[in-house]
Amino acid sequence: MNHRKTYEPGTVVVLVGTKRGLFLLTSRDRERWEVESTSLEGRRVFFATLDQREGQRLFAADNGDFFGSFLRYSDDFGETWHDPEVGIQFPEGGEQKLENIWTIVPGRPNEAGTVYAGVDPASLWVSKDGGKHWEINAGLANHPTREHWVPGAGGLCLHTIVADPSNSSRMWVGISAVGCMRTDDGGQNWVFANKNTRAGFLPDQYPEYGQCIHRFVQHPTNPNVLYQQNHCGIYKSLNAGDDWIDIQHNLPSEFGFPIALDAHNPDTVYVIVENDGRNNVNEQFAVYRTENGGEEWQVLGEGLPAGPGVRLGVLRHGMCADTLDPCGVYVGTNTGQLFATNNRGDSWRLIADFLPSIYSVTATVLV
Amino acid sequence: MNSPNAIPAATVILPYVLREKAGNHKSIMVAGSTIREIIDALDHDYPGLGFNLCYETGELRPYVNIFLDRENIRYLQGLDTPIHMGATIYILQSVAGGYS
Repeated sequence: MNHRKTYEPGTVVVLVGTKRGLFLLTSRDRERWEVESTSLEGRRVFFATLDQREGQRLFAADNGDFFGSFLRYSDDFGETWHDPEVGIQFPEGGEQKLENIWTIVPGRPNEAGTVYAGVDPASLWVSKDGGKHWEINAGLANHPTREHWVPGAGGLCLHTIVADPSNSSRMWVGISAVGCMRTDDGGQNWVFANKNTRAGFLPDQYPEYGQCIHRFVQHPTNPNVLYQQNHCGIYKSLNAGDDWIDIQHNLPSEFGFPIALDAHNPDTVYVIVENDGRNNVNEQFAVYRTENGGEEWQVLGEGLPAGPGVRLGVLRHGMCADTLDPCGVYVGTNTGQLFATNNRGDSWRLIADFLPSIYSVTATVLV
Repeated sequence: MNSPNAIPAATVILPYVLREKAGNHKSIMVAGSTIREIIDALDHDYPGLGFNLCYETGELRPYVNIFLDRENIRYLQGLDTPIHMGATIYILQSVAGGYS
């Protein structure tokens, strides 16, 4: 008898990828949370996401310590997993080898079945059948500058993918340390989109490419507006990445990894910035919010820990927002705490602790 | 008595985490003249298993150890290490705890 796991519509599901397993947090009211482990116990899960365009399919980037990195998918909320028939794998006998899978992104709402994945070494992979078969995007893989791309500390990773819902030919990817790239012809050709973003670690601090982009998000109603968290600053683009505007303003540091956006108030953006030790800048662990598109940043600390011993770090995919109004924001630390707000960041509370180091959080409201 | 040209058969002992991929067998009889041929044969019988052991480039993954009887093949001839009839090949994951 099949006891397939299900949850009621309206349930918020937060997938937490960690250094040692994938966890599932669920809540009907965003007050009381249930924490469950999935059967990917002990695995290094860099990222997981739930695709609701056709059924409810969960994808995970399962980067094993020993026996390789694999994209897997589950149709029962992580109880059982399937391997693709043709997975993410470079040609045998070639020079490239798959290191880690960094992100998995369901395609546009009107292209059910299409799923994208970004990996190290930097390449974009596409499935047209819900994850069963994968192939590399040749336009990016054969980019004429490819041999000059150099890795950041996390590897030469393609970590961010934004498929423009308003334009089926347009997509952006983020690669460390290459920068933002855009295609306007469905992935055949890619151009750099890094103008005015700084690479403070290079002799030429404003190169065409070579920036250490950390993460970016797209404005939900104005598709030409992007927000970017970079190794060297926080930026906003009003023209689809043709150029960028520095919006660091009163933020206490230019360095941080994650960025998230309130879908109902899209000039509201959240970032976390860190000190040189990759921890909170001062004794208050804080999330920073702007409500005016980056003109000014507010410190959000109510309910978050503070004190001389508080040193928390948040990794690249360690923060996300849900799509409810008021929006919930979820922050996972690299020491295993998961904080959440259900009121746009005005107050926070710890909803899980003692998890392994958190690599990613993604939130989905079940339909 | 075996023909001198016969391809040697070896017993491959699999680690727990790879057994599900190999029909839940703990050990498998496989024919091959070298470790590389043994891996190719394993991958033929259990598609995808070779990728668990080697990168696409063909090199052995750093935290996979293969022992021919009692010798780590890294200190023999690597993947080109020849196999003798009746050999036992152990596939193990490294003792990598504590690296991060």
